[in-house]
Amino acid sequence: MTGPGRSGLAGAFTVAGVLFLWGPLLVVVLFSLHSTAALSFPFRGFSLRWYEEIFSSAEVRSAAENSVIVATVTAATTLLLGTLAAYGLTRTSSRARGPLALLFFLPITLPGLFIGTALLVAFARVEVTLSLATVAAAHLVYVFPFFFLIARAALDRLDPALEEAAADLGAGRWLVFRRVTLPQVWPVLVGAACLAFALSFDEFVITFFVIGPDSTLPMFIWSTLRRTIDPSINAISTLLLLFTLLLFVVTFALTSWSERRRRGSAEPLVVPALKDAP
Amino acid sequence: MLRAGPLALAAPAVAVLLVFFVAPLTAFAVYSLLTGAFYEVSGPLTLDNYRQAVESPLHRTLARNSLLVGLFAAVASVVFALPIAYWLRYTRSRWRLVVMFLIIASFLASYLVRIYAWRTILGSNGLINSGLDQIGVIDDPLTFFLYNRFAVTVALVHIYLPYVVLVLYAGLGPLSPAYLETAQDLGAGRLQRWRRVVLPVAAAPAASAFLFVFVLSAADYVTPQFLGGTSGGLLGVIVQQNMTAQGDYALGAAIAFAMLAAFLALYGVVALALRLTRLDRLRFVS
Amino acid sequence: MSGEPRVRLEGVSHRFGDVAALRDIELDVADGELLTLLGPSGCGKTTLLRIVAGFERPTTGRVLLAGEDVTDRPAHRRATNMVFQRSTLFPHLDVFGNVAFGLRVAGVPRAEQEERVREALRLVSLEGYEHRRSHELSGGQMQRIALARALVNRPQVLLLDEPLAALDLKIRLDMEAELRRVHRETGATFLYVTHDQREAMALSDRIVVMNAGAVEQVGTPAEVYGRPASTFAARFVGDANVLPVDVLDVSGDDVSVSLAERRRQVTCAGARGGPAWLVLRPEAVQVERLAREAGAEALTGIVRDVAFRGTGFQYRIAVDALEAELKAEAPASSPELAVDERVTVNWTPSACWLLPRDDDARAPGGPLATREETPA
Repeated sequence: MTGPGRSGLAGAFTVAGVLFLWGPLLVVVLFSLHSTAALSFPFRGFSLRWYEEIFSSAEVRSAAENSVIVATVTAATTLLLGTLAAYGLTRTSSRARGPLALLFFLPITLPGLFIGTALLVAFARVEVTLSLATVAAAHLVYVFPFFFLIARAALDRLDPALEEAAADLGAGRWLVFRRVTLPQVWPVLVGAACLAFALSFDEFVITFFVIGPDSTLPMFIWSTLRRTIDPSINAISTLLLLFTLLLFVVTFALTSWSERRRRGSAEPLVVPALKDAP
Repeated sequence: MLRAGPLALAAPAVAVLLVFFVAPLTAFAVYSLLTGAFYEVSGPLTLDNYRQAVESPLHRTLARNSLLVGLFAAVASVVFALPIAYWLRYTRSRWRLVVMFLIIASFLASYLVRIYAWRTILGSNGLINSGLDQIGVIDDPLTFFLYNRFAVTVALVHIYLPYVVLVLYAGLGPLSPAYLETAQDLGAGRLQRWRRVVLPVAAAPAASAFLFVFVLSAADYVTPQFLGGTSGGLLGVIVQQNMTAQGDYALGAAIAFAMLAAFLALYGVVALALRLTRLDRLRFVS
Repeated sequence: MSGEPRVRLEGVSHRFGDVAALRDIELDVADGELLTLLGPSGCGKTTLLRIVAGFERPTTGRVLLAGEDVTDRPAHRRATNMVFQRSTLFPHLDVFGNVAFGLRVAGVPRAEQEERVREALRLVSLEGYEHRRSHELSGGQMQRIALARALVNRPQVLLLDEPLAALDLKIRLDMEAELRRVHRETGATFLYVTHDQREAMALSDRIVVMNAGAVEQVGTPAEVYGRPASTFAARFVGDANVLPVDVLDVSGDDVSVSLAERRRQVTCAGARGGPAWLVLRPEAVQVERLAREAGAEALTGIVRDVAFRGTGFQYRIAVDALEAELKAEAPASSPELAVDERVTVNWTPSACWLLPRDDDARAPGGPLATREETPA
């Protein structure tokens, strides 16, 4: 067929793009299996020694645990607050809807530098010691817009007729939410919470300013990077990559399964949510 | 069915954002007008910090760097992402979903991991050099890859490209293939279709992606520290140093807010440009 | 309409993978006529239109525009323009920008653009709309702008792909009149695609009835309606009763047939002995309340359904001697019959038509029935 759709040049760019994006990542994965500490060619053989090193390192384990704790708290809190907020905003007629949506969206527009430094200053002012708790609070702010956009998009897509029918049959608001709304929308919410977990787990730019003596995994990686050329970084990075990928697959599967359930298409909710951002 | 009531459900989220976002930023803004030293600030109100932020030669160099790097990273991202987004939108290849998955998945790779990966690749003992050395093309390592603005820009493009692809892809969503066929029917070949249909429709999403990448790149403080060397420093680094090493909260705040003002100005310019060309909010019918 | 056909299709066939969408199409579109490709979904009419436009390249065959072979030419270099089903007006351009699009691509100077756009908008009765945006227009207006956008380029042939299908009924009828007027005023050649046979008959100079990738019949609306060439055409264009009969006797145009053991006369040219289909339009069927006695040759039955349609009554009658129900139409002035009434049905010999029939073929069911495959 002639015409749009047969673009060889665009295809070439796409191949180049995928190679560009994944090349460096695969390099890291490759060298995580390198038998020597050299990070250059020639490649001298495979080995799992770096993985053994990090698994036996108490520092790594503690940093990973801390990351999990913070990410879990962040994801859970975001899930709760975000769902309430999204539900509240999509089911109200109040004109405050717009300004509030803007407020919820705002943290995305600011680079992490601003959020981190502002919180550092604020915590210092009210004399709150920096710890994993302050990190979680910061992550909550950072992650919230992502969750909110996705949740709002999902709630907007629901057919209002179902909720109206339930209310018409006498169900109170809570019952309507629990029996009608939630069953339709929980996969997307859980998926968005997984995204929140992944974002928090990975976060460095803001964490840098508000963290106390305990370390998170990204902080550990950073401090190692500054000190030495330690090849075990490759192993940590690879594991981090695999872990995030796993979370993404779960999120993707949940949102597209939910969307397919609802109307038989296979596009995930992430992309439309980004488009809807003001 | 819609009542004002449900809005109350949003209250906890609002409270959290007010306490941990709005208030700290406001305090930070106030700090920029005070005097900072040893991790504390004191009155009276003064504009000295802003004066120093704008007039210091070091700040000016770094501001220039931030501008250039931000610009290059944003432009490169958008230019690179456009054909990719076009392919994803209009291709009928069975690889489409695979590529989509790969792009979104690369989005989630850790920020630090990427920076580290590029240092590995670009360094004098890095992959490019050792690879070329092995093949015998060079004897001494090429040093122009790393520890400069180029390296920083490449890493930033690597970080933000997936996002830009997705935004442009979403932006091309409403432009169904029928529109392109119509353009073709009216005599437009590939180049004309791009110029007269695809680019105008992609303009607004491209502008928003451009701004996003620019702002985040200009304010980045980690990438320049690992990849920038002496010539590739950015303003964010100075802010970070003032906040952590120097302890001058007020100066850090002033630089940060000066940057913010510049960002807002840029945003205004871009929004105006879109409004004037009537490309800002396109309404697709049917 | 003068000699050389504006569009000629020679041996055009097209396959999508394993599926044959078009089979050896030979067709001429005369200069200045409005020719309609009519058929159900999947019959290949849209594929054929797209081949003329240049969006598909036929697997075999040639396409000629004003005598020139354009088969290998891509769409953007053919002098054809298309009006799509959904108007696809560019949202980033106003009406002027849309209508002038083809002119701008061709590098026509600004002054001439303005002149021709104004003329095109006048043609579709939308003068002064130059600065409107597409979201300010109604569905009918958008399609008229799309029409202007196509015609302003003065194409060799204007292609229309079910342009009225997405519009409301009332607007559709108005647009039909508009299309006829524009066709008359411009004298251009129109190639039209639709599945709506009523629309086809109202608009066309000639109709091409298509089914399963092949042409069933080409003719004027009167020819296609009055003398359908196949049972498919009979059932698709208008409504029809198709009854199995046996031809007993042929003398010139007077044919005797046997229908359910009764003898009937049919006026039909070129009939041959043997099994045949009798094609009878509902409005040709005369229905009367059953008198006390009916002759042995009469066809009696019971009314099963009555529908009043403003202009008249539509009946479904279960005729005693026949398997299928007979559809009949009577004017509003006639006495209304009720369900379960006993009636006789009759028709004049010249009000029906014969088509050949394979020996054990049953009456084909409905307009969407595909032809029997003759093994290649």
